[in-house]
Amino acid sequence: MGLPYEGIKREVISLRDEATCEDYGVYPDRRNIKQKLDLGFILLDKPSGIRSKTSAFIAKRILSPLNVSKIGYSGTLV
Amino acid sequence: MHVHKEFDEEHLKKQMLEFVGKINQLPPVRSNVKRQYRERTVYYLDILEVDGRDVLFRVGVESGTYIRKLIHDMGEKIGVGAHMVELRRTKVANLTEDDSLSTLQNLEDAVYFYEKEGDEKPLNKVVQNIEKAVDFLPKVWISDFAVDTVCKGAPVAVPGVVKFNPFKIDEWVLIYTLKGEIVAIGKAAIDSSSLKDIEKGIVIRTDSVIMRPGVYPEYHRAQQ
Repeated sequence: MGLPYEGIKREVISLRDEATCEDYGVYPDRRNIKQKLDLGFILLDKPSGIRSKTSAFIAKRILSPLNVSKIGYSGTLV
Repeated sequence: MHVHKEFDEEHLKKQMLEFVGKINQLPPVRSNVKRQYRERTVYYLDILEVDGRDVLFRVGVESGTYIRKLIHDMGEKIGVGAHMVELRRTKVANLTEDDSLSTLQNLEDAVYFYEKEGDEKPLNKVVQNIEKAVDFLPKVWISDFAVDTVCKGAPVAVPGVVKFNPFKIDEWVLIYTLKGEIVAIGKAAIDSSSLKDIEKGIVIRTDSVIMRPGVYPEYHRAQQ
């Protein structure tokens, strides 16, 4: 009993063998914290009683010393 | 769920479970969408606790399902009326409460440790890689030479695809680099089953671009 995407296993089909050049890009698990703040998300346990937008705004303010200027949110609960 | 009058527990449970499956909901009066009946799926419903007139239950629903409305409708079905008291999301797609759920306090502490003590471990735990948020969708991994054009909004064509998870036409598909970085999200223009039989054409129409142009080198036809 579960949700549609829960525990889904996907097969990987290769069309050819190809390597990636190490000179550019970065493996996600090797991102430094600055890069992660640029391409990251926070699974936030929002306090009840305040709006999601307010939470996102507070999170942005907390992260502003680290030069985070943009934060959005997703997921509405009604 | 708070039930408004005395009820028979067996009757309540039976009526609540009637809501598993396809249901029709009218959006609330104060709503941002047109007020017409919308079909939604309730995947499962587990009643966890009945304490007097309060009922605690866990429900798995399709996106866009109004829980407050669901409870109101359940109250009518039971025959005594009910309203929602509290609601908490415990999972969404591939993410659960166990996946480093953080509070604003956790975030503030993590920033403090990083700024004042140079310890980035707590912040690394709170801030997660964006790929994890969308990981449940099928992916295509594209060649390095194709990355920059997709960053500029171009679709993914057959020669760019190195490997893929099977996908259906019109399905949302993630476009990844061979290093596993997300480049963009797009919609499948074809069924993945036809990929091995064709040599050109559009595979994924790029919708939202995540990676900035310039991370990977620009593509020059002469180099290929």
